[in-house]
Amino acid sequence: MSASRLPEVLTVAELVHHGPLAKARMLADVILDAQVRYVVLVSDLDQTLSCLPNTAIVLHTPAAQGGWALESALRAAWERTAACVIAPADSTVSRSTIALAERLNVPLFVVEGDPAQHALELAAAVASPGAARARLAARCASAISEQASLRGIVGVINTELPGTSVALVGEDGQVLAGKAAAVGGQVRVPVLTLDGKPWAHLVARLSAPSPSGTETVTTILRLARAPLAASAAKPKLALARRGAQERLLLEALLSGRPDADTEQAARVLGWRFDERNVAVVLRPVVGAPLIDPDIATAGVLAGWGEVFADRPLVPHGDGWVSWWSGPELTANQVMSRLRRRLPRIRCAVPLSAGLGEPAEGVHGLRRSMHEAALACAVAIRSGAGAVESFDALGPRVVLASLRNDELITAAQTALAVLLDSADGDVLIRTLCAVLDCGGSTTQAAARLGVHRNTISGRLDRIRARGIAFDDPDRRLALHVACFVLLGERAAAPPDGSSGGAA
Amino acid sequence: MNVVTAEDLPALAAGAHLLASGAGRTDIDGVLHWLSALLCERGPVPLVQPDELPSDTACAAIGLVGSVTALAELPMVGDEPLQVVRALEARLDTALGAVAALDAATVNALTPVAAAASLGLPLVDCDGMGRVFPLIHQTSFALAGRSLTPLAAVGATADTLVLDATPERAERLLRAAVNVSGGWMLTAIYPTTAARLLSAGIVGSISRAIAVGRALLDAADIDDLTMRLKALVDSRVLGTGRIVELEHRTRPADIGHPAYPSSIVVRSRAEPVRSIRLEAQNELLLALIDGAVAAAVPDIICLLDPQDGHVLDVESVTLGTEVQVVVVPAADVWYTPQGLDLVGPRSFGFPLDGTGRQGGLKPMFRRDSRPRHDLTDAVADLDQGGKAEVE
Repeated sequence: MSASRLPEVLTVAELVHHGPLAKARMLADVILDAQVRYVVLVSDLDQTLSCLPNTAIVLHTPAAQGGWALESALRAAWERTAACVIAPADSTVSRSTIALAERLNVPLFVVEGDPAQHALELAAAVASPGAARARLAARCASAISEQASLRGIVGVINTELPGTSVALVGEDGQVLAGKAAAVGGQVRVPVLTLDGKPWAHLVARLSAPSPSGTETVTTILRLARAPLAASAAKPKLALARRGAQERLLLEALLSGRPDADTEQAARVLGWRFDERNVAVVLRPVVGAPLIDPDIATAGVLAGWGEVFADRPLVPHGDGWVSWWSGPELTANQVMSRLRRRLPRIRCAVPLSAGLGEPAEGVHGLRRSMHEAALACAVAIRSGAGAVESFDALGPRVVLASLRNDELITAAQTALAVLLDSADGDVLIRTLCAVLDCGGSTTQAAARLGVHRNTISGRLDRIRARGIAFDDPDRRLALHVACFVLLGERAAAPPDGSSGGAA
Repeated sequence: MNVVTAEDLPALAAGAHLLASGAGRTDIDGVLHWLSALLCERGPVPLVQPDELPSDTACAAIGLVGSVTALAELPMVGDEPLQVVRALEARLDTALGAVAALDAATVNALTPVAAAASLGLPLVDCDGMGRVFPLIHQTSFALAGRSLTPLAAVGATADTLVLDATPERAERLLRAAVNVSGGWMLTAIYPTTAARLLSAGIVGSISRAIAVGRALLDAADIDDLTMRLKALVDSRVLGTGRIVELEHRTRPADIGHPAYPSSIVVRSRAEPVRSIRLEAQNELLLALIDGAVAAAVPDIICLLDPQDGHVLDVESVTLGTEVQVVVVPAADVWYTPQGLDLVGPRSFGFPLDGTGRQGGLKPMFRRDSRPRHDLTDAVADLDQGGKAEVE
């Protein structure tokens, strides 16, 4: 597409869109693509017969009194190929006059106020069309910069372009701001979010389409893209900022000696912690895609807010923490609430939760949070929506705190002989079960659902590979290694292996 | 012809109706009946040309001033023509030898006949307008410098008025008197001689009206009528269609003129579809076809019924009426510069000039447009140029 230069002559359509004719009332429904080169103010109908082609004829009151005078002017305009006829507001315009204007294809406008003033404005616009467009663009830009909301920005564009309807339409077709009449219009400008993703479209419908009008409107809409994206990002930023503030406040609160100001600020936010507290820690599940914490926070806070409207949710560590507070609170009550509603949270990050034990006061809250964090470390290995309680887990939280990555590597090396064999998977599972049951092959057989002899046979094969699980010095290490390997298999994408952490 | 008989009266009335340019009324039957009876009783009225009379014969124009509707409600008693002529004769201290018409249109084609019959005088075949104009100074007599005073007037209240005043004052005084005399007064006006009538009057008006009336009554259909009128008076048809708009007070009203301005728009049926806009103030004054001026006062613009060819009045048409718009050129004297100053479009508030007798759609706006004159200026102009003899 070649670079288009806007034509140097305005058309009637452009004067209607963003020129002085925007405030005139158009009476005849005709095509408005005639060029306007001159403007003449007529007070005696004589003058209409000597005007040049492409003139906008503005009638002064003496020349517009009576429908016959207007019809004479229209006829003269047609004979001289004038661009349009503009009559003062007090002229008599009857249906037959409008019908004549339509038949002769002469645009007819009626304008309030002093016709001489109007003629001057038209002459100024016609004399420098480029300047008129540039002024319009500048006006729009400064008006848009004053607005902060989506509706404000789109509303300003609608006001500045009276001959055009503009709307902001989301990807799902919903009108986010502006006039619904614009949907399906001729002009369509995509609007991206601040991080470059498609978000919405600005659409515009021109009442009198023309190539130059379309180009002018497109320019104006492009001016509005950045302000709209910034305005849409504001709520997310606000959430992220709130999250950061609350994080600092919570850390101050939970530090060794919180002062009176911190406690006051916390109470002002509605945080209650004087009675029994049960803390909840949320973290993304293992294997979830890594997202920038600030962006993730905004999404999680928004989603949490929809489901648990009155509960604070504060970023803490590499997750988020909340708590319930009440005089007779038990962990089970909180557990049931969480289990029911956690799956309902809609956000991009899949979450799991851990609960602590009830404890009183700020110190109790701190301890409950540590317990919840440990419980959550187990929950995140169990998939999205899992809720684990410290009480139920008991000592197993110790295992959950193990640094998985280093252990897995070491375990793989230590049990390489088993892993290399074809039935390595089965052998490791068998070994783990036997060790879980304290060496009892009977119980291990029951646990795995096979015959005791099968277990014995597998143990023989393990012993044959050189794994001395009977040795007391090695038993714990082997147990941990098997546990870690099985946990890694469970967290990995399913490939048919069953079973989870022991 | 050289007499006007009772048989001629229907034709005379019909022709006069057409020449009224839309302002005529059909309710002049009362006058018609009375006049028929009068003619039957007194015999036919001699119709003479001005040069058939001795050149110094005293003449005056006879005409009704005021509203024909008022005349229908408050008819003439019958002695008004006699009364008014006698009053003028007393004022002039001369006996009249003949009467002429003020304007041979509507009822004023009949009143001079009644005067001639009542007085046993001949009727001069001429009048001062050749059509209807709203003001009594808009006559060829005035153009030629004839004064309209002294005049005599008799009204329904049997008051007799004799006026000696300057012409512009006479108009106002007479109007005022008419208003308080029941709405009409029969006048004897423009006293002059037969010789001057030849130059100052529009000769042949009465016979023309009778001829036009005959065409109206005898024509088989509208097309036949069109052909006859064209032959008789060089008329032309602007268009035929249905009235789609009828508005009143569509223009600023001029206080000096009676009645309110109205507009009628006729949309033609046949292709190409055009709209004919008519501007009226009692009479039809302006005709525009698609915005281009096609006819303007002094042209006589008439409305005919396309079904049966009879004449329609501005007052009697409504939305949806089918009409044919016909233009009859007025007397030559009205197309002179002085004539146009007196009765051209500008004098009726339209800032443009007439199309001229040739008709057609010519550009009409003159560069050297002159402002509206009122009566004083017109008379002053005439005094400079023409013979200004005052009786």
